[in-house]
Amino acid sequence: MKINKMYWLLLPGLLFLTVFMLIPIILTIGSTFVQEGKPTLEGYLYFFKDAYFNRILLTTLRVSVFTTVICIALGYPVAYYISRLGTRKKGILLALSIFPLLTSPVVRSFSWMIILGRKGLVNNALVATGIVDKPIEILYTPTAMIIGLVHLFLPLIIITLVGVMENVDSELIRAAESLGASRFTALRKVLFPLTIPGLIIGSVLVFVGSLTAYTTPALLGGKERVISTFLYQNAMTLNDWYLASVIATIMIVITLVVVGLMNKVATKLNPKG
Amino acid sequence: MKEKHYGLAIFSTLVFIFLLGPLVIISVTSFGPGTVLKFPPDGFSLKWYQNIWAVDMFPKTFVTSIIISLLGNLLALILGVPAAYALSRYHFRGRDLLNAIFLSPVLIPGIVLGFTMLKYVLVMYQLPIYAGLLVGHTVIMLPFIIRVIGSSLSNFDFSIEEAAVSLGAGRLQAFFRVVLPNIRSGIMAAVLIAFLESFNNVDISVFMTGPGISTLPIQMLTYVQNYFDPTIAAISVVLMILTGLLMFVIERLMGGLAYFTKR
Amino acid sequence: MTLLSLEQVSVAYDNHLILENFDLKLEEGKLLSLLGPSGCGKTTTLRLIAGFLEAKGGKFMFDGRDYTHLPVNKRNFGFVFQSYALFPHLSVYDNVAFGLRLRKMKEGQVKEKVLRMLDIVSLNGFEKRFPQELSGGQRQRVAIARALVIEPDLLLFDEPLSNLDANLRVTMRVEIRRLQQELGMTAVYVSHDQEECFSISDQVAIMNAGKIEQLGAPTDIYQYPKTEYVARFIGFNNFLVFDGTRQGNTGLEWTIGDYGFDVQLQAGQSTANTYKGAIRPEDLRIIPLGQLTDLQKSLSNQVPGTVKVSTYLGRSYQFEVQTALGAFTVNQEMDIPIAPGQQVMITFPADKIVMVAQ
Repeated sequence: MKINKMYWLLLPGLLFLTVFMLIPIILTIGSTFVQEGKPTLEGYLYFFKDAYFNRILLTTLRVSVFTTVICIALGYPVAYYISRLGTRKKGILLALSIFPLLTSPVVRSFSWMIILGRKGLVNNALVATGIVDKPIEILYTPTAMIIGLVHLFLPLIIITLVGVMENVDSELIRAAESLGASRFTALRKVLFPLTIPGLIIGSVLVFVGSLTAYTTPALLGGKERVISTFLYQNAMTLNDWYLASVIATIMIVITLVVVGLMNKVATKLNPKG
Repeated sequence: MKEKHYGLAIFSTLVFIFLLGPLVIISVTSFGPGTVLKFPPDGFSLKWYQNIWAVDMFPKTFVTSIIISLLGNLLALILGVPAAYALSRYHFRGRDLLNAIFLSPVLIPGIVLGFTMLKYVLVMYQLPIYAGLLVGHTVIMLPFIIRVIGSSLSNFDFSIEEAAVSLGAGRLQAFFRVVLPNIRSGIMAAVLIAFLESFNNVDISVFMTGPGISTLPIQMLTYVQNYFDPTIAAISVVLMILTGLLMFVIERLMGGLAYFTKR
Repeated sequence: MTLLSLEQVSVAYDNHLILENFDLKLEEGKLLSLLGPSGCGKTTTLRLIAGFLEAKGGKFMFDGRDYTHLPVNKRNFGFVFQSYALFPHLSVYDNVAFGLRLRKMKEGQVKEKVLRMLDIVSLNGFEKRFPQELSGGQRQRVAIARALVIEPDLLLFDEPLSNLDANLRVTMRVEIRRLQQELGMTAVYVSHDQEECFSISDQVAIMNAGKIEQLGAPTDIYQYPKTEYVARFIGFNNFLVFDGTRQGNTGLEWTIGDYGFDVQLQAGQSTANTYKGAIRPEDLRIIPLGQLTDLQKSLSNQVPGTVKVSTYLGRSYQFEVQTALGAFTVNQEMDIPIAPGQQVMITFPADKIVMVAQ
């Protein structure tokens, strides 16, 4: 087939994405720099000066960092455990990790509403065991968001890391042991350095995911806003499309910067070849 | 030497309890007879499953979700299969850029994509809400179609296609009679994965609602914010069974779940 | 003196017994090869010695100490992997230094030892390279250097040359033998390549289905296989299935029907007729039947037949000959080959027939 004929295969999809995705995004970004026909940066100045907006941005970052760290701390050991199992057991545990990933985020966040609510499982247990006198507020706090987001993204980091660890030749661990390393030392000096690029990719997926997730903060955050629920509020409740566009642009920039950095760092850290 | 890591096994078990426990709890509470969600429930009842049908927005939005996901899937296939073929069959200038563009809908935050589509697709292009939903869902399904089919095509030996052409098949004939049958399971898996992605979508659909128009996840979201009865738990169980079935089919089609561990 | 001994060792993998009541002894300073087809248990034996696998039963003694339950990292054995298993994130220098640093050696001493070892394997100047930047042969040298530098009590090789091309394989095996002898190392070497094992070993153990069929010096095994399995493995393609003995012109003869065969027995072999006679294709002779007198035709150790296929092998021709005793393969140097369809006489020289147990 001639090369230019091949472009016809790409054209319909490209056209579709251009009209319905690229143009809307570019125009949205462009619209934030223009007000009443004049170029301006007012939206951004306003956003970064306002204490309330700053607080939302800070909450979002805090929640995302905590989520990412907890996901790594829980996910890395589990991924190692799964990667060493036999085919059958590994398949079962992978399926159990993938199932939540494919389950609706509404369902998964909702389940935490049942557990964390004032009359939920956690409060009932705390009151019954006498640790607290009356139910404590967990639901509708940043803590609830973190729990929900960890639940949302943990499967993602687990399966990503299992994939990465399976690519590390198990003979390398044996080689380290034969040279005198204990199992733990072998993991620390051989497995860990070799999984760092994958760990970075997984962490960024979780971090960016938490930064931009909507459903979980909307259900578990209550009045506590993060940047995505704030965007929704401005767009749909307050009808402030200018501010919503500014927030959208900030979210795109953060995402692209973080992902871009990740690609750079991961390429650099990638063990040669 | 095979060492037994009991500590690691216990830790992993606890993590899986954390992952799956909430889904078990939601399933159990769905059979509770009370009007408030309670765990453990006071008895056994199926009335909340009946209530799904009583609140007529649930069956209605369920149908909407199914139709949007299926039509969007079809559209994404029509746009995506030729593109995936071109991207994996040929090496040409700008291929990496085009590949990045086709995969970009997963990179842009969903909520941003939803908002920009509300602003331009619904308001500026004046598309009706149903059309907007269809377009939005097609956009988010495209990357999955391209990626999964692309990975089956990258395992496909194109000399088979050349053999068909050398035997007198036309290009189109060769594609439909030789390439397509060989990547059939990849296409089916792509369709199912994209379907789940679309069916569960909140970020786009939340901006595209109108009087009596919504998708099931958005209807659930709204319902949860206003009522706290086990109806949602009952729907969740239905959805989880559906998810489990589709996952089983994907596993069969792809001969495993390795697709998910590649990134 | 015996350095290593496996006594009645059993190993199971996924409830499938690979070694059962396995015995092996090795003397200090010797190189022993385990040779056999895949699945014969040779790699399992090596990994058991290394400590990567644990025995279900039996005992592994090394230098008078019980090593059966000693963890891998306490054994101080050097292991050279088939895949080399070089750490991809470490330079050549750091790969070789890995084991020394684990022994808390001072950097100055580490440097001295690493550089000397790289010199021994002719890799000076490669310290800063990464494994991916090396050729197969260079990686192999790094793997050997890494295993040698810790001054191991035993060296273990798991098919170390199977990923190299044919020429390099020959060079490297000479290299390995030289290092082992110069440093006076005891080594166990696993391979499925017969020539490789025979050329570098003091002792060869030919394994089959979890058992050692024959253990001995390479020349002994090559000339006098003890079992049919070993005979086939080292190229005795022709077998005579005897059915009895009789008194012939020169002494006791083994028979198959009316055909008689004079055979030279090896030391320790009885005159019982439970043997098969094995003979290599290149030790058989064929002559067109027409060139023989009637007297010559009546001698022992001969079978007439018809050439079915003739193949040119470069230096010689190979003939498939169909006889009343079955088909035989004969390799013979000649200027003009015997054409298929011709009647020939095959001669089995008495001193080339080896009696093997069935």
